[in-house]
Order: sequence, then C-alpha cells, then structure tokens
Amino acid sequence: MRSAASFRGGWLAAGIGLLLLFPLSSPDVFFLDVFTTGFLLAAFAASWDVVGGVSGQITLGHALPFGAAAYACALLTTLAGWPLPLAVAAAVLLAAAVGAGIGALSAPLAGPFVALLTLALGEIAHEAAVGHTFFSGPGGYAWGGEGGIPVALPWRDASPFSSYYAALAFLCLASFGMLRFSRSGAGLILRAVAGSPITAQASGVPIARFKRLAFTVGSAFAGAAGAGFVLHVGRATATDLSLELSFQAATFAAVGGRGTIVGPVVVALVLHVLFQGLSLPPSARVLLYALTLLVTLRFFPGGVVGTARDLALRLGGKDGAQPPRLRGRNKPGKGTP
Amino acid sequence: MASPLPQVLLDGLFAGGTYALMAAGMTLILGVVKVINLSHGAFFTLGAYVAYALAERGVVSPLAAAPLAAVIAFAFGVFLGKSFINPVRSHPFALPVGTLACALLFEQAAQMVWGPHPLLIGSGAPWVGPGGLVIRQWGVIAFLSSAALLGGLKWVLSARPGLPLRLIAEDEEIAGSLGMDVDAIRYLTFGGACAMAAAAGALLSPSGAVTPTMGRAPLLLSLVVVIVAGMDSVAAIFLLSIGLGIFGNACAWLLSPQWSYVALLAAVCLLLSARPAGIVVLAGRRD
Repeated sequence: MRSAASFRGGWLAAGIGLLLLFPLSSPDVFFLDVFTTGFLLAAFAASWDVVGGVSGQITLGHALPFGAAAYACALLTTLAGWPLPLAVAAAVLLAAAVGAGIGALSAPLAGPFVALLTLALGEIAHEAAVGHTFFSGPGGYAWGGEGGIPVALPWRDASPFSSYYAALAFLCLASFGMLRFSRSGAGLILRAVAGSPITAQASGVPIARFKRLAFTVGSAFAGAAGAGFVLHVGRATATDLSLELSFQAATFAAVGGRGTIVGPVVVALVLHVLFQGLSLPPSARVLLYALTLLVTLRFFPGGVVGTARDLALRLGGKDGAQPPRLRGRNKPGKGTP
Repeated sequence: MASPLPQVLLDGLFAGGTYALMAAGMTLILGVVKVINLSHGAFFTLGAYVAYALAERGVVSPLAAAPLAAVIAFAFGVFLGKSFINPVRSHPFALPVGTLACALLFEQAAQMVWGPHPLLIGSGAPWVGPGGLVIRQWGVIAFLSSAALLGGLKWVLSARPGLPLRLIAEDEEIAGSLGMDVDAIRYLTFGGACAMAAAAGALLSPSGAVTPTMGRAPLLLSLVVVIVAGMDSVAAIFLLSIGLGIFGNACAWLLSPQWSYVALLAAVCLLLSARPAGIVVLAGRRD
C-alpha cells in the first residue's frame, strides 16, 4: 500500500517537473498559452470532482460558479474600479455563496434531479449573461452580451512565462487543497453520502448540510479557477457560463475516474492540450469530448484512468488483495438505488 | 389588426399542441425505460433539420417531412437505446451525463453540417380569419397531426398492444417473468419516443428559425410536463403542453423570445424545489 502510494506520488512529481521544464525548451508562445488555459481548466475539472465525484452530486451547472467569479472580477474591476486582489477575493466568495445556494436548493433532490436543477440554474445564468448589457458611467461604454466584459488589469502585457508558472502553481495548490479536503473527515462523510444517502442518514449524518458543504467548497475552487481564467484571458464572456463548459468538466472527471481529483486533472490537461494544440474549432472539440465521454461511460464506467489503475493494481498487487482505501474510491454512485 | 393577443394565443395553441407529441414521448421514456432523456431535444432538432433538408430539395411540406424524420429518429433512437441506454441504465451517473453528451454531440454535428446560423423554411400562404387573425397553415397541420397521433397513442396504451408498456412501467420483474422481452421493449419504446420528438420538430419547423440549439426549449417544456402531469393521462399532457405553449408564446411576445426559454428554466427550478418528493415517486424508484 505504502509503496503503491509513493510510486504514484513519484509519477506526479515527475509530471510536475516536466511541466516546470517545458517553458525552458523555448516553445512556441501558442503552446504556452494552451498549457496555461489547460492548467486552469484542470483545476476547474478537479473542483467538479469535489461535487460530482467525491460527493456524488451530479452537477451539470458547474460553469455557474466559474462564470459568476469571472463576471464578478470583470464587473468589479472595470465598472466599480475595485483593486484587483480585492475583486478576486470577492469573486471567490461570491462563487462559494452561489455554491451554497445551489447546494441548499438541490439538497432535498435525488440523483438525476440534481443534474436537472443544476443544468437549469446554469442555463438561466448563461441566458442572463447573454441578454444583459452593463453601462459604465464615466466612459459611457456598453458591455455585456456576446462580447463580454473586459477586466481592468493592473499590468499591461503579462509575459506568457509568468502566466504559465502562475497557473501551474495555482493548479498544484488548488489540487492539493481539494485532495486534502476529499481525504479529510468531511470528505469521507461525503463519500458515504455519495455511496448511499439513506445509510449515511441512518448513521446520523446531516446529509443536507454535507451536500451544501460539498457544493460550497467545490464552487469556491471553481470560482478561483474562473477568476484565474478571466485574468489570463482578460475578458469575461457568456461562454464562461455555458452548458458546454459544465459538460467538459463532467467529461474530464468521468474519463479520469470520479472521486480521484488527480485523475480529472490529468485527463483535463491531456485532452485540452491535445485538442486545443491541434487547433480544432470549438464545435469539433465539444463533439470529441462528447464522443470520448460516451465511449468511457459505455466501456469504462469507473473512468479510463480508474479502470487502468485498478487493472494495474490487480496485476501488480502483492497478495492479490486490493488495498481497501483504493477499492472504495471508485464506488460513488454505484450503490445508489 | 386590433389586438395581437388573439394571434399570440392561437400560435401558442398550435405550438403547444405539437410540443405535446414530444412531451408524451418523454413521458413514455420516463415511464417504461425510467430514464430522464436529456437528448430528447436533439431529436426535435433532428426533425427540423430533416424538414429543412427536404425543403432545400423542393419538398416543402411538413406532412412529408414528419414521417421521414420519425423513421430516421426511430433508427437512431433504437441504436442509442440498445447500445447505450440499456447497458448503463443501472449507473445513475451515466444517464444524465450520457444523454446530455448525445444532445451536445448532435448539436455540434448539426452546427458543423448546417452552420450556426438560423435557417428558415418557407411556409404556405396563411389564411386570414375574422378580425385580421392570421391562421398559419403549418400550425393547423401540426396541431391536427399531433392531436391525431396522441389520440392513437392513448388508444394503443389503453388497449391490448399497450399492455406490455403499462406492465413494464408498473413492474419490470413481473413483465419479465411473463416472458416479455423487457430489454427489447425498452429500446423500441425509446426509439418510438424519439420518433415522436422528431415528428414534432418536423411539424413545427416552419414556425421559426432552425438552429442547432432549437431543441433546448422544447426539452425543458417536456420536462415540466413530465414533472407535473406524469404518465397517467395523455389528455393531461396535451392540455398542459398547450398551456405551456401559450405561456411561452406570451412571454416571447411580452418580453423577448429568449425569455420564454428562461421562464421554462425557472419553472423547472421552481417545480423541483417545490415538490422534490412527488417527482421521485413519478420517476419510479422501485428497481
């Protein structure tokens, strides 16, 4: 068990090392940008996994906290003139509050109805973002709609290298935080809620409160990723709230193995860099994501990475027994009626 | 024209009556397959694009497009039901996410084939009724076809051929032990329901622009109908769909077209928050 864990840790360290070295190979600026976006998207995928994987609350509106934070950043800096750090902090808080709200609404619902409710809430936010126009007082500009809202950044042109390293640092910190959360006492209780809400309730777990907690924590991290994304891109647009974005996060988590945090991060990075690096148009990318997801759900219900890991463990397991901690990891959702 | 209100009501009636066909399909899937099918709207869109493709080749008739769209959608639906829905049915995560994936897959494919721009299908010359009221030909055709098809469905469900469907909705184990091929009936029902959605899409295609995401609003309308009306009464589905069609049209007229979509989304949220327990019973948690 110990050796297996440290082995995986070694692979992760090697991966991070490679990512740290990559910019030094003086690559094209385009690829640096692809990786920077990939890091932020990977953090977003991991935050989906906190809600949808660890806690088993299938959310299809996870773009809502992401986009809410992005819009908050843009509006607070551009229209209200707040300093950037304050705006980012407010944006993350707003995302957490949005998550708490979604959690409170969806707590009494079971299984697919959580998906329905979150989908509807996300779409409402998306329509509002497309339809609403904001006016700035002094300049007399009209912002919003399809064009989105720019962010007032204190720096002129961020170097692609500093953006790359900042996003990578954010991804490592956020993933570490989410991993710690998912393995904390609250995380274990959330896994129990995901496995069987009724059993958890019978054991005295206040499941509504824990579902709210899952949405709040996951949304706060999604909001942080959204704030980072808007700082990198420089503009909050309605696509930050789109159903396609929520769907991408669910895809990364499903392929990477739900509830593992690291799996979705790895898959998000690989798929994003692959599809974006090939300069595929957005609709082709979403199409490929959908195909990948359908194949995964059909043939590897535990996720491609999860299934491969289980297989590797079974083949390489010392006395044939799987470590109990890992066996429990793929379960969320399977036991629910 | 005196007041636009009668016009709004009439168009809403035509649209709502046709949406009922799609909503009834959704209800069948929920009752028999026990799945919330988020790809139902994509089949509606498929029907509209079939009608557009036919109109491009000179066949401008919803009555010709609807059967063709239904056959195509039935084939896709059976494939989807047999190769995806049935195998992953017991996996609560795979269904909502997987059917959403199907919907997005189709939306993106449609966008790549036909482009993201709204496409228009010419409709026949409207009749002008009393008081300047415009009676659109497609509306009458769509409403009457939908009503006839729903009448047929009601008869099938209440008569002997519909017995397996009702029994599977009630208790799958008993149906299986009586020798019914439950899996086959499930995917055939799924295909049939998809055909109903596509027929509704083809019938309604002249009502507005054909776009890749046009199926999302009817999908939500169907969800509202399923949540409120359940699968007991075809007449309730029909009336509720008409009500929602008029409501949507009134929202579009009073505010702006996108508001009818937002209003439907808000209705889904409100219904789910107001009576979570009632819906869970509808979904059939017996298995």
